Amino acid sequence: MMLRASSSANDMQVDLSLVRGEAAENEAVDHAPELARLVDTSVSDLNSLSAARSALVEATDDATMLDAAAVVANFEMMTRIADGTGTCHPSERLESMAEMTTSMGLDQFVSARS
Amino acid sequence: MTATPSSIVEECHAASELPIRADLTAAHAHVWEKLAAPGTWWDGGERLAIAEIVGAALDDPVPIPPWESPSLSGRFSRNALLSSELQDAIYRLTVHAGTLTEEWYSKMRDATGITPQQWVEVIEVAISVTSVFRFSQLAGIERPAFPSPIEGEPLRQEQPSKPAKHHWVPVVHLEDMTPELAPFYDGLPAVPPVIRALSSVPSAMDTLATLSSAQYIPTREMIDLDWTRGTLSRRQIEFVAGRLSAHRECFY
Repeated sequence: MMLRASSSANDMQVDLSLVRGEAAENEAVDHAPELARLVDTSVSDLNSLSAARSALVEATDDATMLDAAAVVANFEMMTRIADGTGTCHPSERLESMAEMTTSMGLDQFVSARS
Repeated sequence: MTATPSSIVEECHAASELPIRADLTAAHAHVWEKLAAPGTWWDGGERLAIAEIVGAALDDPVPIPPWESPSLSGRFSRNALLSSELQDAIYRLTVHAGTLTEEWYSKMRDATGITPQQWVEVIEVAISVTSVFRFSQLAGIERPAFPSPIEGEPLRQEQPSKPAKHHWVPVVHLEDMTPELAPFYDGLPAVPPVIRALSSVPSAMDTLATLSSAQYIPTREMIDLDWTRGTLSRRQIEFVAGRLSAHRECFY
């Protein structure tokens, strides 16, 4: 939702499949492939995390890599708060998100509470 | 000289020789100071025991499926402070949060006998450890050791929390704001459900606000869809956030 909002605020269209699928270079999110690789390897391929970190630093710099690491840490936190407390969206918000959540397959998550 | 919780974090960050922001180091040091100190419903030793389960779960190279008991599998050393049922719940929160259901929550509370407020504080400890350890792992820096427990009694401070429409746990609604919650509620027309989730324990709200401001975006800047620290753009921040949340199968 916030990715869509922050893109719209800049008159940019972002393909939200970027979040779950192949992350190719695109206008809305600079260095999407390198950022995606850092996230992906940190979750499911720790042996490749160091290479992903180096690739992101090479494409950007140390400070950007550190901020990306901090955002990952933050959403490791937020996901556990939401799922540990059974937090769900108000019904009106769920309605406004319906098309996006269906197209992205998010409605198939166990955590898709209402 | 004995290391303080803050110095443990600060030394790890300094040793990396990376340009780690001072506010991020301060935020991690702050939650490390609280980690093994008496909390609201758990004492320092109990909070440290919860933290150690979270750390072991994060380190588990081959996590067991959510329907199996990690304590029965011998993943944890015997712990006199936490029941095996609570250890299992902490492991599942850490490794398989996206699989939790309201039925699971209800059964977990029956099996462990803990109150909703105690569970909220368990989550607070879990998010502190997860934030500090995962940042260290991603940044490729040394991971801070756990601090030593500090003796003392929990505060046992009640809040006027009530059953909630958008949570399993009770929350304090905006109209019931207390002085302890004022720093997090004051001036807001509404509090997003995921922020309100921890409101029955104000110290947990403090942990969330401290970490979120340094790791993500300061609360007051949330409304600015172009906000940046000069490194990641807002769109890059949200892309990383969305991709991680999708990996964790977090619908919210």
